[in-house]
Amino acid sequence: MQERVRISDSQVNTDLTSSIFESSKLYWILVGFLALVVLCGFTAAGYMFNRGLGVTGLNRPVMWGFFITNFVFWIGISHAGVMLSAILRLVQAEWRRPATRAAEVLTVFSLMTAMTMPLIHAGRPWRVAYWVFPYDWARGIYPNVRSALVWDPSAVFTYLTSSILFVYIALIPDFAVLRDRTTGVPHIIYSILSLGWRGSVRQWKLQIIAGILLSAIILPIFVSVHSIVSWDFGTAMSVEAWHSTVFAPYFVIGAVHSGVSAVVTVMIILRWMFHWEDYIRREHMDSLAKLLIVVATAWLFFFALEFFFGLYALEGPEVALRELQVFEAPWKWYFLTFLITSYLIPVPMWLIPSVRRNLWLMAFTTILVNVGMWFERFIIIVPGLMRKQAFVFTWGGYTPSIVEVTIITATFAMVSMLVLLFAKVVPLIPIGDAKEGMILHDEIKIGKVMVPAVMREE
Amino acid sequence: MARKSILGLFDNADSAADATDVLLEAGATQDDFDVLTGSPYPEGAFGEKDPVHHIYVFPIIGALMGLTMALVLTAGTQVAYPMVTGGKPILAFPAMTIICYEGTLLGAVLFTIIGIIFESRLPRLRLDPYDARINEGYIGLLVTTEEEKLDDMERALIRGSALEVVHERGRALRG
Amino acid sequence: MHESHHVVAPSYLDMTAQEITNDVLKRHHSPGNQFWTIAMILGGLFVVGLVGLFMLIADGFDNKSAWGYYAATFGYVFSLSQTAVLVSVALRMAKSHWRRPLARISEMFAIVGVYSFAMLLPLLWVLPSIEGRRSLWFEWPGNTPHIWDTMALGSLVICGLAILYFASLPDLVTDKEVSGKSDEDVSYHPLIPHWFGAPKHWQLQKIVLGLLGGFYFLMLIIVHMLISVDFAMALIPGWKDAIFPAFHAINGIQASIALIIVTMFILRSRSSLGKYLELEQFWALSKILLATCLLWFYFWWSSFFTYWYGRMPAEIGVLKYIMFETYSTVFLLAFTMCFVIPFLILVVNVVRKTIWGPTLAASVILIGTFFNQVRYYVAGFSVEDHTLHVLENLPDFTAPGPIDFMVVVGGISGAVLTYMLGTRIFPIISIWEIKEGLMLQRVRKFMKRDIRVLAKPE
Repeated sequence: MQERVRISDSQVNTDLTSSIFESSKLYWILVGFLALVVLCGFTAAGYMFNRGLGVTGLNRPVMWGFFITNFVFWIGISHAGVMLSAILRLVQAEWRRPATRAAEVLTVFSLMTAMTMPLIHAGRPWRVAYWVFPYDWARGIYPNVRSALVWDPSAVFTYLTSSILFVYIALIPDFAVLRDRTTGVPHIIYSILSLGWRGSVRQWKLQIIAGILLSAIILPIFVSVHSIVSWDFGTAMSVEAWHSTVFAPYFVIGAVHSGVSAVVTVMIILRWMFHWEDYIRREHMDSLAKLLIVVATAWLFFFALEFFFGLYALEGPEVALRELQVFEAPWKWYFLTFLITSYLIPVPMWLIPSVRRNLWLMAFTTILVNVGMWFERFIIIVPGLMRKQAFVFTWGGYTPSIVEVTIITATFAMVSMLVLLFAKVVPLIPIGDAKEGMILHDEIKIGKVMVPAVMREE
Repeated sequence: MARKSILGLFDNADSAADATDVLLEAGATQDDFDVLTGSPYPEGAFGEKDPVHHIYVFPIIGALMGLTMALVLTAGTQVAYPMVTGGKPILAFPAMTIICYEGTLLGAVLFTIIGIIFESRLPRLRLDPYDARINEGYIGLLVTTEEEKLDDMERALIRGSALEVVHERGRALRG
Repeated sequence: MHESHHVVAPSYLDMTAQEITNDVLKRHHSPGNQFWTIAMILGGLFVVGLVGLFMLIADGFDNKSAWGYYAATFGYVFSLSQTAVLVSVALRMAKSHWRRPLARISEMFAIVGVYSFAMLLPLLWVLPSIEGRRSLWFEWPGNTPHIWDTMALGSLVICGLAILYFASLPDLVTDKEVSGKSDEDVSYHPLIPHWFGAPKHWQLQKIVLGLLGGFYFLMLIIVHMLISVDFAMALIPGWKDAIFPAFHAINGIQASIALIIVTMFILRSRSSLGKYLELEQFWALSKILLATCLLWFYFWWSSFFTYWYGRMPAEIGVLKYIMFETYSTVFLLAFTMCFVIPFLILVVNVVRKTIWGPTLAASVILIGTFFNQVRYYVAGFSVEDHTLHVLENLPDFTAPGPIDFMVVVGGISGAVLTYMLGTRIFPIISIWEIKEGLMLQRVRKFMKRDIRVLAKPE
């Protein structure tokens, strides 16, 4: 069942630019609160830079903790954009239309946030420059391209650049709408951003090709990014449970799981905040939830492969590590939370059609997924390091300090704040795309019922 | 002879599509008119000519350039300061592949973006003749022709039930 | 193909439901002399294969390396036939209209599943006991893989047959009615219960196919894991590769799509089913085929790269054995034919959008996949001592002898023959799905052009 209504172009413009031209008190209170949390994060980071990494809970042998977990988590969320936008564009799924922009924007901001994590983790962020960029011509010392820590920036940088440009290209027609609806300084800014777009046949044709072509190019980047992040772990042979050949696809599909869930959460919040009931409809939630069932089950399969083949050789240290993860507190609680929240609760719920169309339950389940997926990264990273290898001289645990907790909390506030602020300057549902969807919508009469249909050019 | 443009405005897509026939009868060719819309329509819906473009060349050139850059960077820096790490060869191709892969795709994306902007004939410094209502659901039929044929075209647009004809300086004939 | 200004629509839209039924059934009942000639030749080759098998059995089951090529043929036939059924299951779930003409072609491979099951049986005597060696079954009693693998493959085959049966039931009834056979006719009666196409029946069929499809998908992944690990990975010392079962499955999906493309091509040129199997089907499948080629590379790379980087003795041993030394030629052939050549063919838009392009790529993939199976199964069966944990001395390459050629050619011929005989029971084109397509698709005028309208019923 679909709940589509016919809306005039003018009304579409008004509705979808409402986030820009109207703002409620609640919006500013929310942004203000988030800004405050972000400020706390910056303060904590500044304090840490001043005092050194000693103020964190990181210590031998666990030198990767909350920051790196959070890095992997936000890289994961950033996979939403391309997954939804590119794949659904390539398969011409009609229900992609309201989701693409939010997904792409979430990609950009979560990637930016993810990038700050290793920088903060480095303790002396400015030094990262010469680990990553080959600029030191004077001394002739260059980054080690055989190191996984150099592959990461190359992948993240490529993905971030591509995602920003992808968002921009798709925004040009919408900037033109805003240009035509504004005066004064905003008009000048939107005029520059819209590059003189008039909506000619050629421009629209190129716009559509851009969507498909860029999707096709960004897809391989998207797969590579989380694969390369996974090889930060996978290529290390000294840490039990990390050196697994399945890590790359396992990380990628996990990222898609958490990313698409995050997009659903964001879409529900946007719908509620800006009254986009006619655009973000229950049928879209239904389709996204069905997609999530497939993604989550594929992810579970890869998780099972990873876990099972960890045990396959029955090597002592590996078995000990799995015992630590599954049977010893507090890790067993994290493990249980992760499994229950990322799969065992949401997926059976999504199998029920009425849940897929209930926004409260969808918001609840998708938030649960991301709670679980955060824990997933945490229990991959920290226990692995705690029981490092046979001759390691310290075996220790890890407790995050207040500095780390503050910074991590601030990253969540930062992504939310940036998405909200972005909604103040551009429409988070692509206007041209929404209008195209209405043009291509049709119906076929079969017997006594009208069945919704879509026009296809090819 | 200088070519000038006028823009006929229509409040629905069907009458704009019909008006193209009137334009052709009045002596315009398919190269003389363009359709301005606020959202994409299926190709050929207005009976317009399919625009020719070379967009697919751009990513290929970009990819080749990106690959070359990445190869030079990865191989060059390692050869310039040969230091064995992790028991890998100095030119460790599997490891270099990763950065080369990213470089190739970055090049492809950058050139595609340039290509799209270039092939869309953007940026465009002057909008005229243009009307903001196009983004509100109106359809614009943009006729560009020799100055002396302009009046014929304008009459054709009105015959084709244009609500209004906008001139390059923004003068409206009827409305 | 129906082509007028930009629009591409299936030719069958110009036919009536009655014409489609008569057309398909006519072909179903008179396959032509050529069909039987080919069947006879294949039958002859199958007998040659049987002779080869008896010669193998006569030599006994102790010399495992003699059975390597037989195992590879089994792996090949199992992978292709059982995975091919999934194509129709997945596309039916995705409700794609273009799948209609190829749905039966895909699920008919369920019949070949029975044949692959028969091929498994002799191997159960060759497969060594798991005592003292690494296996999926850890400390379970000795004959565990033999029992469970047989049961798993058996259940999968039964499930596949059930899908084929329920999906073709409406067509079998139509055939019965059109040919005027009475209920007492033995050749039809046992297969057809009292189906008369009431809404209740269609509803039930949809639910049954959905449930069986979901079950089949899960089972298939598990069986791929069992067969690939028990009959290949576990036999090669030091090979602990979590991604391998998924890689085996991806190769299976890739090859089964290739198989469907080649089957469609043969049907098109040999039985003039061209008005159903059109460019649309080839084009759509070619896109998925391209994606699977990329996935093939990605999964292979994930495994290779982790091993190459880790450089542990066990990993280097495996790399040398199945990739870079002993089976290097076979690996190179598999790599080129499963990835390089098809990728280069399919990446070109104008070639992908033809009938010959995808068929050429598919043919290459079918050969490449066989080589890929050789480097696992033959390599696995050629190892003497399975109890080792590291492959220190690489076993010699097992070159195929005359018996191996007999077994390979006969084994594959038997599979093709089984499929051909299956087409005598079930019509090769799914009549009811084409008729449904007739109802749910239109070509209509849109402004100045024709456009195809596709209904998307919920």
